[in-house]
Amino acid sequence: MFVGRVRAFVVRDFQLAVSYRLEFFMRILSVLFVTTTLYFISQIFASGFATPYEQWRDPFLAWITAVPFLNYFLVGFSSLATAIRSEQAQGTLEGVLMTPINIPTLIVSSSAWDFVQATFHSFLYLFFGSVLFGVHYRGSFLLAVLFLVLTTLVLASVGILSASFAMVFKRGDPFGIIIGTGSALFSGVFFPTQLLSQVGGSAFGTISRFIPTTHGIEGIRRVLIQGQGLSEVREPVLSLLAFLAVLLPFSLWVFTRAVRRAKREGSLIQY
Amino acid sequence: MPSVKENGLDAAITIDCVSKTYPVPLARTRQLFRMRSAAPVEALREVSFDVREGEIFGLIGRNGAGKTTLTKIIATLVQPTSGAVTVCGFDSVRDEERVRASIGLAGAEERSFYWRLTVEQNLTFFARLYGLSARGARRRIAELLELLELASLRRRRFGELSTGNKQRMAVARALLNSPPVLLLDEPTRSLDPVAAARTRELIGRLARSTPPATVLLTSHNLAEVEELCERVAVISRGRIRALDAPRRLRSAHRQQEHVRLAVGGLSAERAAALLRGVVARPEVSEQPGAARVGFTREVGDDLLDRALRALAAEGRVISCEAERATLLDVLETFEREDEAAGAGAEGEEPKGVGV
Repeated sequence: MFVGRVRAFVVRDFQLAVSYRLEFFMRILSVLFVTTTLYFISQIFASGFATPYEQWRDPFLAWITAVPFLNYFLVGFSSLATAIRSEQAQGTLEGVLMTPINIPTLIVSSSAWDFVQATFHSFLYLFFGSVLFGVHYRGSFLLAVLFLVLTTLVLASVGILSASFAMVFKRGDPFGIIIGTGSALFSGVFFPTQLLSQVGGSAFGTISRFIPTTHGIEGIRRVLIQGQGLSEVREPVLSLLAFLAVLLPFSLWVFTRAVRRAKREGSLIQY
Repeated sequence: MPSVKENGLDAAITIDCVSKTYPVPLARTRQLFRMRSAAPVEALREVSFDVREGEIFGLIGRNGAGKTTLTKIIATLVQPTSGAVTVCGFDSVRDEERVRASIGLAGAEERSFYWRLTVEQNLTFFARLYGLSARGARRRIAELLELLELASLRRRRFGELSTGNKQRMAVARALLNSPPVLLLDEPTRSLDPVAAARTRELIGRLARSTPPATVLLTSHNLAEVEELCERVAVISRGRIRALDAPRRLRSAHRQQEHVRLAVGGLSAERAAALLRGVVARPEVSEQPGAARVGFTREVGDDLLDRALRALAAEGRVISCEAERATLLDVLETFEREDEAAGAGAEGEEPKGVGV
């Protein structure tokens, strides 16, 4: 039943997506453009680039292993709130909530298509990097997927909190932009996080440790760039599990209360 | 409060002292910052009634009377402030998933479908959410499209459908999981007369089927309510003002009827003379070839018989029409009473039987 319902959402969103065919192909083209842009920027440092940071000896490799995943993480964060807002605005949320669907199923199902899309786009980044620009990935892809799943679950928990905000206040969450740009700044997508401490002091550098994306990207890079195994990446795995243990039950509790509050106020389909 | 078993039939829907006041969003925060805010809106006040299994039950009232709020509470989309609703024995707050599995709601909201998806894609999506298998969904959708005359439009996008067909889609969705309880909000509002008649026929058939569907019908079409419903509740300003069979509601509301006769072979003057001593203050006028006579009588008295005999002695009665109270009169009366009493009318006992 659960799988059938999730599949129904994925099929629905796919049908809606292909009803906008041009956008579908433009997104693929944009992935190609971003990958190519990152490659050409990396060529600035192609000759005589020395760095003490092992993961950054090839900046293109460092970016290509972080940018698609950052995008993936942000989908985890924003997709549920976006889906809820969109269903409220379209007026379809009431129709969906009239069916015997429970809250966890609704949460997973509403974001499912976005994850399918984000997975496809992440794969495209890695594919273009490898096929067009000769990037070689080391280590276990399965381990990289473990980091991907864990980090996504943590950010999805934050996303559930964001969706609760959207459900009650009928506004897109105000934290989305901060989470996006903040992750780019503090989680080491474009430069090593060690630079934060060196330039801004240790307190500034500590901020990055409280951002789940930092641990996710660190883990993925250790696996795909440095070729490390599970025993060597235990620390980022445990950090992500700790985030997850706190955030997931809390966010589900908040979301259930948000739905109840919207029902009390009779504002489920207001937007 | 009526018992669960009423007249030997199980109650499919039980509404027990339900009140609903919509709170002001962020009231405490507004209070804290001393911001001005609107008063909470009382949408329902201590509403109680049962809908029996297999019954078609009408809920009538003006816009804003509380019909939609009550329907949404039954459908678990809105929580009551106090009181309880059970559907097929399940509590609408504690067992909301089971209640939703027992209910089909056809609302008047066109936006509740995906406009860029086809008729079939929309219904398939909702059928899967109701837990139908892929094959089961295909079969059920084919049946419903045939039943609601939408089969030729199955590949048409929802946004391209006429308003009437969108309305039929809402009914089709409500029937997807063959629910024991149907909540129909103006199901024939945008349909042409033929389609509306067929939909009414379908509603009647569903209530007579085995097992029977219980229908709660909210409508502004009072003729439709009279035709379909065994019992009707009149709701005004959030309170049930009367609940009974339509015929009894009308007669309880007004004991009199106005009679109009056309009598050939008589002048108005002669008709008035013949009625003297029979009818007090008759309205008499003359039209080409006939005298027109009108008078008011108590329902069931012998005044009509005596008037007919008196007039037939010298003329011939061409037509006879009696104008009784309609549900609209009932509705208007309660509305007038409420307006006169003001919003603060409290402690008034509802009229009618079975409340």
